Amino acid sequence: MNNSLSAEIFKKFNVKVLGEGIQPMMFAHGYGCDQNMWRFVYPHFEKQYKIILFDYIGGGKSDIDSYSKEKYSSLQAYADDVISICTGLNLTNVIFVGHSVSAMIGVLASNKKPSLFSHLIMIGPSPRYINDSEYIGGFENEAIEELMEALDSNYLGWSASMAPVIMGNSDRPELGDELTNSFCQTDPEVAKNFARVTFLSDNREDLQNVITPTLVLQCSQDVIAPVVVGDYVAKNIKNSEYKLLNATGHCPNLSAPEETVSAIQEYLQKKEHV
Amino acid sequence: MSKDNESKRFDRGRLRAALELYDNSPCGSISFQDDGLITDLNSTLSNWLGYDKKELIHIRTLPSLFKIGGQIFFETHFFPLIKMQGFIKEVYFDIVRKDKSILHCLINVREIQATGNQPTNYQGTILDISDRWQYEAEILKAKRKAEADSKAKADFLATISHEIRTPLNSILGIGNLLHQTPLNENQKEYARLLLHSSEHLLSLVNNLLDLSKIEANKIQLEQKPFNLYDLADVLKHTFSVKAQQKSIDLHLNLDERVPQNLLGDPVKLKQVLTNLVGNAIKFTKEGHVSISITLVKEYKKSVLLLFEVTDTGIGIPEEKLEAIFHEFSQASYDVSVEFGGTGLGLTISKKILELHKSNLNVSSSLNSGSTFSFNIRYKKYGRELDEEEKVSAASRSDNFKNINVLVVDDNPDNIFIAAQYLEQWNINYMTADSGYSAISLCETTDFDVILLDLQMPKMNGYETAQEIRKRKTEKKPTIVAFSASAKGEVQQQLLKAGIDDYLPKPFQPQHLYETLVKYQNIDEPKQLSNISDQEKLVENKSKKPKFKSKKKPAVSASFSLTRYKKMAKNKPEYLRKFRLSTLDALISYQKDFKKAIKKRDIEQLSNLIHTSTMSLYYIQADNLSELLKECRTLLRSTPINEQSLSTSIEECNEEFKKIIEGLKKE
Repeated sequence: MNNSLSAEIFKKFNVKVLGEGIQPMMFAHGYGCDQNMWRFVYPHFEKQYKIILFDYIGGGKSDIDSYSKEKYSSLQAYADDVISICTGLNLTNVIFVGHSVSAMIGVLASNKKPSLFSHLIMIGPSPRYINDSEYIGGFENEAIEELMEALDSNYLGWSASMAPVIMGNSDRPELGDELTNSFCQTDPEVAKNFARVTFLSDNREDLQNVITPTLVLQCSQDVIAPVVVGDYVAKNIKNSEYKLLNATGHCPNLSAPEETVSAIQEYLQKKEHV
Repeated sequence: MSKDNESKRFDRGRLRAALELYDNSPCGSISFQDDGLITDLNSTLSNWLGYDKKELIHIRTLPSLFKIGGQIFFETHFFPLIKMQGFIKEVYFDIVRKDKSILHCLINVREIQATGNQPTNYQGTILDISDRWQYEAEILKAKRKAEADSKAKADFLATISHEIRTPLNSILGIGNLLHQTPLNENQKEYARLLLHSSEHLLSLVNNLLDLSKIEANKIQLEQKPFNLYDLADVLKHTFSVKAQQKSIDLHLNLDERVPQNLLGDPVKLKQVLTNLVGNAIKFTKEGHVSISITLVKEYKKSVLLLFEVTDTGIGIPEEKLEAIFHEFSQASYDVSVEFGGTGLGLTISKKILELHKSNLNVSSSLNSGSTFSFNIRYKKYGRELDEEEKVSAASRSDNFKNINVLVVDDNPDNIFIAAQYLEQWNINYMTADSGYSAISLCETTDFDVILLDLQMPKMNGYETAQEIRKRKTEKKPTIVAFSASAKGEVQQQLLKAGIDDYLPKPFQPQHLYETLVKYQNIDEPKQLSNISDQEKLVENKSKKPKFKSKKKPAVSASFSLTRYKKMAKNKPEYLRKFRLSTLDALISYQKDFKKAIKKRDIEQLSNLIHTSTMSLYYIQADNLSELLKECRTLLRSTPINEQSLSTSIEECNEEFKKIIEGLKKE
């Protein structure tokens, strides 16, 4: 391994390596957040695995200078980054845990370099967010357009409204400086582009090519990725298992970490004993 | 007993009051669960929304009241943040009322942790900011309109100034010619007036252009080393003739403590001083004009300097002191009639100083003179100066001048690349992305060498050269064209346009250097050997197979970053810039290629071949370069061999893809 190369990768993607195990377990955050969203989940795996946390380019504390709108105009570029982190850090046999859009990024990465991955664990995956004749993605075309408009007109206040929230944290000092200032900070321009790339993506065909054993974790009520979508994903990936969680919403890793953790543990243990 | 009852009654009363306040408080209040399901809301909110409480409680979720964009935001940003920090403050949402109208509001939420059999609950406070939203929207609209108007005005000004300049130059030229023909006394006077007026008009138009550029934020300050003493000397020298003509003394007082070498924008400084000194001489009939530069404060790495221009002229009445800084206003109409001038000089100077975070001060008393002054903080240029000094000391005997080079090209890649070389060679340079901006730069700066791209949109290199030649600049710059076209084709046109020399594109760094040497009397062999040493050094360094091992053979055949690595001087940030800008360029080249092919447009393809030459050369994409030319040849032939053409197109696209993929991966 080239040391300077790996140092560059650590910096570029704000990579954190934790845990006492050997097999790598890589946690990939979804749209709108950064590696902080795994804080309730990864500690449960530290004893057994080598934990890899990172931020996608443009998110969290990644190197914003490496961002180029042209380059990151498809999910494949993000998948290539996942591969480059794996190869740069000499990781193989990786358990890839992808939340939200990262589930499809994991699909693209494992389709390109299947040899790197041992399992894919998808939390709230969706191969296509927009309904398409027979297919139900959960959103009408107009809804996505409306989101794009909303993002463009900045009415959600990506930066202005969020900044005081992120900065002003005096009543929860236990969170510590590092976390208080960095929750889910994303450059507004990057956030808009990433939203476009995410919500306009269509990876339905890529599901057929997945050969890595996969666990699909689906929430009970999820506006972003409804139950039918999780169903679709599981049905279209040959070697997959499907688990419906009691948790609601799009972020069970935050709202129901215990249930999420035990579902993943159960799956991995079962796989080990086979 | 009765006391106890009384206090119970009192407590019940307080509870009622609290509930009353909760229900009718001036802000909305809402409780919801993990899944967003609404468990309670106060009357204020239900009234705002037009829903009956029963229609919402245990039936609807909070995000379901938002527009779809808000729902996504809630799931991907809002809720994760609440979970991570336990609260969220004042985030803007649009809530859809029962009648589908929109309530603009800010939402605060606190997480109330689960206790016993009570699940986690979230308490939200909702503020109606419809009024504020309205104001903000209006302000934003007004701001956007004002900006658009101002930009339109600046653009119009720039266009019209340029349009006026073209015929004006002809008038000046013809006036000059007329002046040289045999004329009687009357006619001579008319011709002189004609010339004088058109020169005046030209300076007005040039100032307008400057101003419009400043207003359009198109001007940025440069950071480059310069010798302040030289600058001041040149300034004094420039005005000494004018001062002598009017029998005015011109003094230059330079504080000894002021360092010679500074880091900053000498061109802008000169422009301001030229303006002030020019004004001072213009408005002074007798006495003196003095320029003084003093050290106000010395910091560790920088100095604060005070520049003053003092005259013994007509002065400015106190009530007009404000007005003189405004566009088109001089102290009075009579002033303009008597002294001429556009009234723009001070405005421009003021704006240039604003760019320096400084301002222009004036003190004046009528009929006894004025003082214009300003402060600028410059970085000291210390350590590197020693080397510079050595070089200039060594070459001073060879009549070495600081070469001032202008690079003109519409392709930012090419500019960047040329700039890298010039920087490596410590040559002062400026850049222009079009013929127009090149010409206006020539108005304010004297260049020794102009490197000019021939194929540019709107105003091509020939036209640009002709325009520059029309100007009566102090120095006559050497114009060197660089172009990808064959030399023979353009030789005639080069001569006609006043272009001195020609550099085939892509140029080798050696060639560029040799050309610069040729026109600047640099100590040639010594400098050249320096450069080749430098290159060898870089080459040796870059020979370390740092990245080679992971490259696939197929990719390395399509392109290579060796040249960039060499140029980037092993600095990864340079290399990344090169790579990313080339990546973006390549993506747009492929689009252009597809367009040109679709339309079978040979000219468009030729243009593409031209613009991409440099980029392809630097990444050694020789295959692609050849393939593109092959495509063009195939397109030109009649009848077109469709099969070969489509193979060739496919190969081009394949190469494009390989290079783009490869550049992304690097």
